[in-house]
Amino acid sequence: MTAMRMRRYVQAPGPVGEISELPLLQRAETLDRVYVGYGLLVVALVFASYLLGAFGWLPHDPQAMNVGLINAAPLTPGHPLGTDFLGRDLQSRLILGIQAYFLPGLLAVAISLVGGSVLGILAGYQGGWADTVVTYFDNLLDSFPRLVLILLVIAAFKPDIYYIMVVVGVTGMPVIANLIAGKIAFLRQKSFIEAAHALGLPARTVILKHILWYNCRALLVIQATLGMAEAILVETSLSYLGFGVQEPTPSWGNMVQAGANYFLQGNFWPSTAPALAILATILGFQLLGDGLNNILEGKRRR
Amino acid sequence: MEDAVLSLSKEPLLSIENLRTYFYSRAKRAFVRSVDGASLAVARGETLGVVGESGSGKTVTAHSAAGLVTGSPGVIGGSIRFDSRNLLDGLERYVKVDERDGRVMAVEKDERGWREHAETLMRGVRGKEIAMIFQNPRAALNPYSTVGAQLVETIRLHTGAKGQREARERALHWLERVRIDSPRLRFDNFPFGMSGGMCQRAMIAMALCAEPSLLIADEPTTGLDATIQSRIVDLLARLKAETGITTLLISHDISVIQRLSDRVAVMYGGTVVETGRAADVLAPQAPARHPYTAGLLASIPSAETIRTKSYLQDIEGDVLDTIDVPRGCRFYGRCSRVTEAIRERCANLEPPLGEVAPGRRVRCWLHVKQETPA
Repeated sequence: MTAMRMRRYVQAPGPVGEISELPLLQRAETLDRVYVGYGLLVVALVFASYLLGAFGWLPHDPQAMNVGLINAAPLTPGHPLGTDFLGRDLQSRLILGIQAYFLPGLLAVAISLVGGSVLGILAGYQGGWADTVVTYFDNLLDSFPRLVLILLVIAAFKPDIYYIMVVVGVTGMPVIANLIAGKIAFLRQKSFIEAAHALGLPARTVILKHILWYNCRALLVIQATLGMAEAILVETSLSYLGFGVQEPTPSWGNMVQAGANYFLQGNFWPSTAPALAILATILGFQLLGDGLNNILEGKRRR
Repeated sequence: MEDAVLSLSKEPLLSIENLRTYFYSRAKRAFVRSVDGASLAVARGETLGVVGESGSGKTVTAHSAAGLVTGSPGVIGGSIRFDSRNLLDGLERYVKVDERDGRVMAVEKDERGWREHAETLMRGVRGKEIAMIFQNPRAALNPYSTVGAQLVETIRLHTGAKGQREARERALHWLERVRIDSPRLRFDNFPFGMSGGMCQRAMIAMALCAEPSLLIADEPTTGLDATIQSRIVDLLARLKAETGITTLLISHDISVIQRLSDRVAVMYGGTVVETGRAADVLAPQAPARHPYTAGLLASIPSAETIRTKSYLQDIEGDVLDTIDVPRGCRFYGRCSRVTEAIRERCANLEPPLGEVAPGRRVRCWLHVKQETPA
């Protein structure tokens, strides 16, 4: 038997008019802003680190081994985040590890946004067969665990991160397609869409500008951040399992895996550092999406 | 075939003949005959007011003329001539109507083919030549974009305005013409920041900025406050005087029709039951009037009824159920003027829209002589 989920509603103490005078930190808006602020900080850090890695401006050569200084603790002179089991600088490798998911993740997001929008417009505007196709596509992808699909692709082609991200992008399409189709079905009954047709605007303009741009852009931004979080998670877990980015190229996933061998010997840091990085980054993207969702989409509901 | 060109002095700009727009109700497995053989004509430069209760087919007629019907099967027959073109030209091949003694029993329609062909016929017409304003103007503007941006978009689409700057100038000019005060400030307003009346003014500006030859005003005052309604009517009258635009005005508000129209068509149950000059049709005492028009006029308060403190009269019964259209006169079930002499005809034979005076036609057996014995 499932446990009962009781939801509690509590009347605020004092006169009712003072409900809106909740302390700043307890207001829902404040929390949303904190989420978005943290998320934007993470995005900025990730982007800056990506550029550092792309230009090779790293404190150390990430591949240079130093057998005299393996599994060094953080704050070792010259290695602020310590070194791994081969004595490679963790800070440089963490920064370079962003290369493993940054562009592939963007590719996955782009695929699911563009593909999802196209499918969503077809399903929402055309209805009929397009709607059926999207529904069945959705069901088909739902009936496969995503990881199995990715392993299939790896087995069929090669363990290349871009191949994997194409799968991530394609499997992300139905969610967006459904959201957009629902939005279109809702908007089509609005008279401003009818008025736009009556003013003689071509269907293309109405769909792309009035529906997709004006009415779905918030939704697309939110889905993009959530999709990026998903892509990072997939990349790091596959690299951890050895299917994604291969050593010696650093990825946060394979760094956790490499450090894990020394975890029980007391050298927990080489795998904890990338794990914390994964946690903080994914949390950042997720919270950004969540906060934006509440701020942009929730505003009209309040 | 009933001729719809109702002895007009001028050649009509828009003439709708025997238009049929049906919708299929899956639940009832029957056709809703929203527009069922309606014919009307609007001469160049005149305003034709279309009155009738809700559900009489006024709006669907207007939407059919603008090619905006989205339900299915939608328009299934008739002709819509605009200027020198036929907006339903060649579309009959997409529809197969199975008719049995004058009643449509089944319709087959290639909706995709119809829609694509209709769109090619409407290209350059909708928005450019036929513009439309709607009821509930706030909902007719996109809430996510500023009024100015929407106006500029329409202007750039339909006029030769070169570049953003010129389009913006024209937009401001149009906002002035529809008498929105401080147009420069309103330009950057979102629809939710403006009153309903101002939204309607902006909507009118958007409709007129392409300088169309026909304006379809579909209940332009519905959903507005009473004082604002009057202002919008004034604005429409003034713009009409300035531009001389041909107007098809749809309203259930007889006072609006009275103030703006040159001619009036009264619709009931999806068809036109009376047409004529506004002054004749809406006059307090008119000879040879359709009983429905008489009922409509008796149901609105006038200075006369207020002075004598008499009761207003309503029309007995409900609006015609357009699913189950009777064989005879559509108004027969509610008519209080049936005489024994014509009862048989009223119940079994639909009266034609016959001429009772020059330029005046009534669809009623009281006034129309039977041409051929039944």
